[in-house]
Amino acid sequence: MEARSSRELQARNYLEKHRIMDLLTYLTSALLFFRPERPREYLISILERLRIARLSGVALPFFMDNSNIASMFEMLDSSNKGSISFVQYKEALKTLGLCTAEEVLKDDGHGVTFDKFRNEVKTTGTIDTSKRISPLCDTAVLGQTLPVLKEATVWGR
Amino acid sequence: MTRGPSDSGPQGAAALRGSMDATTAPHRIPPQMPQYGEANHIFELMQNMLEQLLIHQPKDPIPFMIDHLQRDNDYVPKIVILGPPASGKTTIAMWLAKHLSTNLLSVESLIAKEYSPLAADARMHYQKFKMVPDMLLIRLMQERLKEEDCVRRGWILDGIPETREQALTIQTLGISPRHVIVLSAPDTVLIERNLGKRIDPQTGEIYHTTFDWPPESEIQNRLMVPAGIFEGETARKLLEYHRNIVRILPSYPKILKVISADQPCVDVFYQALTYVQTSHRSNAPFTPRVLLCGPVGSGKSLQAALLAQKYGLINVCCGQLLKEAVADKSKYSDLIQPFFEKEIAVPDNIIMKVLKQRLDQQDCVERGWVLHGFPRDLDQAHLMDNLGYKPNRVFFLNVPFDSVIERLSLRRTDPITGERYHLMYKPPPTIEVQARLLQNPKDSEEQIKLKMDLFYRNSAELEQFYGDAITLNGDQDPYTVFEYIESGIINRLPKKVP
Repeated sequence: MEARSSRELQARNYLEKHRIMDLLTYLTSALLFFRPERPREYLISILERLRIARLSGVALPFFMDNSNIASMFEMLDSSNKGSISFVQYKEALKTLGLCTAEEVLKDDGHGVTFDKFRNEVKTTGTIDTSKRISPLCDTAVLGQTLPVLKEATVWGR
Repeated sequence: MTRGPSDSGPQGAAALRGSMDATTAPHRIPPQMPQYGEANHIFELMQNMLEQLLIHQPKDPIPFMIDHLQRDNDYVPKIVILGPPASGKTTIAMWLAKHLSTNLLSVESLIAKEYSPLAADARMHYQKFKMVPDMLLIRLMQERLKEEDCVRRGWILDGIPETREQALTIQTLGISPRHVIVLSAPDTVLIERNLGKRIDPQTGEIYHTTFDWPPESEIQNRLMVPAGIFEGETARKLLEYHRNIVRILPSYPKILKVISADQPCVDVFYQALTYVQTSHRSNAPFTPRVLLCGPVGSGKSLQAALLAQKYGLINVCCGQLLKEAVADKSKYSDLIQPFFEKEIAVPDNIIMKVLKQRLDQQDCVERGWVLHGFPRDLDQAHLMDNLGYKPNRVFFLNVPFDSVIERLSLRRTDPITGERYHLMYKPPPTIEVQARLLQNPKDSEEQIKLKMDLFYRNSAELEQFYGDAITLNGDQDPYTVFEYIESGIINRLPKKVP
C-alpha cells in the first residue's frame, strides 16, 4: 500500500486533535435518542451550549453526576475492595478523556479510593476546558452504549 | 439532566449491562431510531458536516459547525458543465441557472466583475493575450464562490475548469461540484453548427440561424456574428478542447454524465435537468423494509422468496404467518381457528397482533423484512402505520387478468409426492404423474376472479396511501421483475416532480 499522502495525514491529525469523531458520534447518538422534530436546530442548540461552556469554563452541562461516577468506580473495582489500582485509575481518566496518554500522574503508592476518584474526576473535569473536549466526558458513559449503536448499524435510508 | 441517553429504560440498561461484554449481548435498538435516521437523512447530514470540517479544518470546530448547520446549504446545486465549442454549453447553463434559480459563472462573467482588482487584472490580460492565466482565474472564482448568494443558492460553472491544472487547483481549494455534465458531439457537426452562431448583444443569449432562431423580429435585427466562428478557428479550438478534456474527466469519476449534444436543445436540457436533480447513492446504512402489493398470482411470494434469499431479508407472508400460528397452537390459534374453519377473513386486529409479534423479533428488526399479503385495504394500512411499521419501499405488481388466470388455473399438485407443477411452466415429467394431478379448489377461475376484484377495489386507495410506491409490470419473467425490484430498493426513491 502506498504511503499516505501528507494531506491525508494532516486530515487525520486534525480529526484526532479536535476529537471530531467523538463529537460527531455524540451528536448523532443524541439525535437518535431524543429524535427532535427539527434536527438542525437541535444540533445547533447542543453546539451552542458546548461553545458557551468552553468559553466560560463553567461546570459543563453534560457533566457526569454522582451516580455515573459511582457506577464507573464500581465497574473498575470488581472485587469491592474500596479502592482501585493506579493503573486502573489512569485508564479510567483516559477513557473519560480527562488525561492524555503522555501526562504523568502522581502515584502515591496507595490505591485510589472512591472519594479521591470522584474528587479527581470532578476537578479535572472542570478545569482547562479549552484544552480538552471534556464536555464529552459524558460520552464515556454514553460511550459504553455507543459501540452498541455503532455495531448494529440498523438505520434506514 | 436527569434522564439521558445513559439511562434509557430497560433497553438502555440491558445495552449498558450487555456492553460490559459488548460482543455477546444482543443489541436491541428500538425501531424508531432507524426510522428517524432515515426520515431525516441524519447520515448525509453528518457526512456533509464532516466533509466540510475536513476541507476547511477550522481552528475552532464548534463555531464552524454551528455556522454550517445554520447555512443549511447541503443540497444547493453545484454543477459544472463542460463541452466543446458550439455544443450549446452556455445555452444549457443559462437555462439550468434560470430553472434552478442559481448563479451562473463563466470566464466572461468572472472577468466582467466590477469593483475587483483581480477582475481588472484579468481584463487587461484578456485584452492582450486573449486568455486569462490559470491562477488569476481560479482566484477570481474562489472570490466569487465565497459570496453570500453563491453560498446560499449554489452555482453552475460554465466551461471552467478548462485544463487539468485548473481542475486540480479547484480540488485543492476544496471546491467540489456534485454533478458534472459533459456535452459531446462529433466534430463535423460542431464545425457546421458554429457557422450559424449568432449572439444577441443585449441579453447575451446565443441563437442559431437554423436551430434556434428567435421569433421576434427586433431580436433578429439585433443579432451579431461573433468572432471566431469560421471553420479554421473552430477546428483549432476543438483540437485544444479534446487535448484538455481527456485529462480533466478522471478528476470527477463518480459524478460525471456525458450527454450527446447532437440532439435538439430542449432534449439536452431535460436530460441535464433530470440528472442534476437526482442525488447520488449515499453510503447511509440501509435496512430495507419492503412491502409487495399485487393481485393474487402476481408473483409476490416468488419475489419475496428471491429477495429473502439474496439479501437476507425475512420473508413475512401474512397468510403463512396465520397458518403457522394455528399450527403451532400458540395463544392466537384459538382466536384464529374458528375463522379458518368458517372460511371468513380473519379480523384486522388479530392479524395485526400476530404480525406485530413477528416483526418485533430481533431478526426482523436487524435484517429487514419483505411483507406480502397484508395490508389489503386502507384500514389495514392505517392500522399498520399507526403501530409504527412503516415500509421504506412499496412495490405494486401489475399483472393483467389473463396472465393471472394462466398462471393460477394451470397449477396442479401431485397428491403422492406433494410436488407442485404448472401445466405450462413446469409440466409433470411423465403421463402417469399427469394422470393423478389434482387442482386446488382455490385455483378455480371463479375464485381467482373474486379475489382479483377484491384487490382492485382496494388498490386505488392503497396506492394513494403509499405515495412513494413504485409500480412494476409483473407480467414478465420472474428474474426481470426481480431486477426491477432490486433497482427500486437500491436506488433512492425518485423525487416527485412538482
